[in-house]
Amino acid sequence: MKIENTKAQMRKGVLEFCILSVLKDNAAYVAEILGTLKDAKLLVVEGTIYPLLTRLKNAGLLSYKWEESTSGPPRKYYELTETGKLFLKELDSTWNELQNAVNIVTSQKTKTK
Amino acid sequence: MNKTVNINLAGIFFHIDEDAYLKLQHYLEAIKRSFTNSQGQSEIIEDIEARISELFNERVQNNKQVIRIKEVDEVISIMGQPEDYLVDDEIFEDEPQSSYKKKSTTSKKLFRDTDNSYISGVSSGLAHYFGIDAIWVRLAWILLIFGAGTGFLLYILLWILVPEAKTTAEKIMMTGEPVNISNIEKKIKDGFENVTDVAKNVGESIGAAAKNVSESVSNAAKNVNVKKQSNSIKSSSKTFFDTVGDVIMFFFKIFAKFIGVLLIIIGSFALIALAVSLLSLGVADIIHIPGLDLVDIANTGNTPMWLISLLAFFAIGVPFFFLFYLGLKTLINNLKSIGKIAKFTLLGLWLISIIGLVIVGIRQASEHAFEEHFIEKTEFPITFNDTLNIKMIGNDNFNLGFHRRHNDFKLAHNENGNKVIYSSDINVIVKSTTDSIATIVIKKSADGRDYDTAIERAKNINYNFQLKNNTLILNSYLTTNPENKFSDQEVNVILYIPIHTILYFNSTTKSYLYHSRRNDNIVTNRNTNHYLKILDNDIECLDCPDGDFKIKVNTNGVKINEDGIDINDGENSLKINEDGIRVKSDEVKVNIDSNGIKIETVK
Repeated sequence: MKIENTKAQMRKGVLEFCILSVLKDNAAYVAEILGTLKDAKLLVVEGTIYPLLTRLKNAGLLSYKWEESTSGPPRKYYELTETGKLFLKELDSTWNELQNAVNIVTSQKTKTK
Repeated sequence: MNKTVNINLAGIFFHIDEDAYLKLQHYLEAIKRSFTNSQGQSEIIEDIEARISELFNERVQNNKQVIRIKEVDEVISIMGQPEDYLVDDEIFEDEPQSSYKKKSTTSKKLFRDTDNSYISGVSSGLAHYFGIDAIWVRLAWILLIFGAGTGFLLYILLWILVPEAKTTAEKIMMTGEPVNISNIEKKIKDGFENVTDVAKNVGESIGAAAKNVSESVSNAAKNVNVKKQSNSIKSSSKTFFDTVGDVIMFFFKIFAKFIGVLLIIIGSFALIALAVSLLSLGVADIIHIPGLDLVDIANTGNTPMWLISLLAFFAIGVPFFFLFYLGLKTLINNLKSIGKIAKFTLLGLWLISIIGLVIVGIRQASEHAFEEHFIEKTEFPITFNDTLNIKMIGNDNFNLGFHRRHNDFKLAHNENGNKVIYSSDINVIVKSTTDSIATIVIKKSADGRDYDTAIERAKNINYNFQLKNNTLILNSYLTTNPENKFSDQEVNVILYIPIHTILYFNSTTKSYLYHSRRNDNIVTNRNTNHYLKILDNDIECLDCPDGDFKIKVNTNGVKINEDGIDINDGENSLKINEDGIRVKSDEVKVNIDSNGIKIETVK
């Protein structure tokens, strides 16, 4: 068991959830999603997101449409599909439960110390 | 000063320095390799290119500005190293298609492991692939090379065809571990990726430079318009037909793999067989291996054996090599192309070999173009009323029956233990003569490319006969030294027999006589075992039954044959044969035979 494995898995596990969350209310293109994730320091390099987006799209959670850009190539605007929204809802509650659980466990530990 | 290249990145036009271009290209290639097709490789690459294009666009103030290596480096640091693109599959196990995806990423791929190589890394690559220690693979190679010699060929092939594991992702794939972030990090921590890799990559980039520049120009022109259209189509969700297509593709792939295995088996067996025969023939030219002499003797053109075998090897081997290659290509997805130069070299070799073989063939044919005869004449006397018996004699050494075979040559050792060619191509011809003494003429013939060779070969035919107590004993075979090769050697024995002489041909001569009386020949193979009196250009059979009885009837109870006449209608019968006449009915029996006539009534 290496610390790197665990770290990477932790981060990657939430990444999918975070991408869906970014798109919860409005469609966004890759650079915008990236901006949000990078601001939150969830991503170090951009490359990671592309296979994830494709995977989510292929799983039917996301769809996209093309929009022209004035300053570059046309952009893919991603948005949640109906299944994506349900998926996100489910993930949301799971996350909350998880957060609670982790909070309880970790705070207990500090108390006992 | 720097040369620049024009590129089209996601439909946007950029000027880019050549070194920066190469770096970018290498980067994109490396990313491409970290994905399999099932993960949506092309779509991911498209997205990444679009993003890079955007990032470049932000860095270019006007369209005359050139992208330099600095910008490329910046973009790469933003986008991350190829390893960063990989998705840890374990996390997505519950995803619908994950089981399939997992299989495809964790399956091993064959690469050459140049980090642990002795020569080219083929062995250690194979060792990873089969999950055994490299030492066993190397031992197997040594055995193969000394055992059959084919190992060498196979090794070179694998060296050429199996790509080297360059990126970390490839190195992980090679060992069959699932490609995920943790594994990649581990490899990097282990110092797997070292300085030499970088040096190699740079070297390769320079090599590829010339090719890439020309390609980039044509690519730029192609990509601009197509992209938008195809994207709008792709954005529609997966339809029913996609699914049907997937199923069909799946079966097609299985079928293709099957064909691939078949092709590999055919190709490799043919190549191995060829290599073995080439080696043995080539060696036989220097060391004499018994049994191979036959091939050498058939080779009348005197073209060096090694040249013919080499030509034949390429003429047959090249097509089979391509079969083999095709098979490998269908089986191993990431197989490197052998390259245009190699393909054209092989094609050229093949053509040269075919032409060479045609030339050899013409030489071989011209060898038989001249037929020269060497005639040896011997006379011997026969007194007038003697009967001349004629029979053939074989030779135990040559294991021949008394059957003439045209152009059938064999090798054997004669009674002195010397190697000889023998053949049963002997013709016996009988002609009548008005001279008072009989003459036997032995006519030997052989083919040769020129007059001298032919006459030399004809002269070298050994053929013997002897006359003993009124019996002419003819050899049923001819022999010659193997040096003379198979050049259609033939012996005609012509007997000039005075009129009124009586001949008796033993049954052993049957096969050596003509079927018909052509060219003044008067004795045919139907005349054996009879006493024949020679007339002027004809014979008279002295002991043949008068008027050959040829009528044969056998219908409805009526039989007429050499035994006689037999009529039987079930109730009455009539028999006429050498015993006499016998008639039988319900009421009367009549017998006429040597005992006289006997008539008796039944009951």
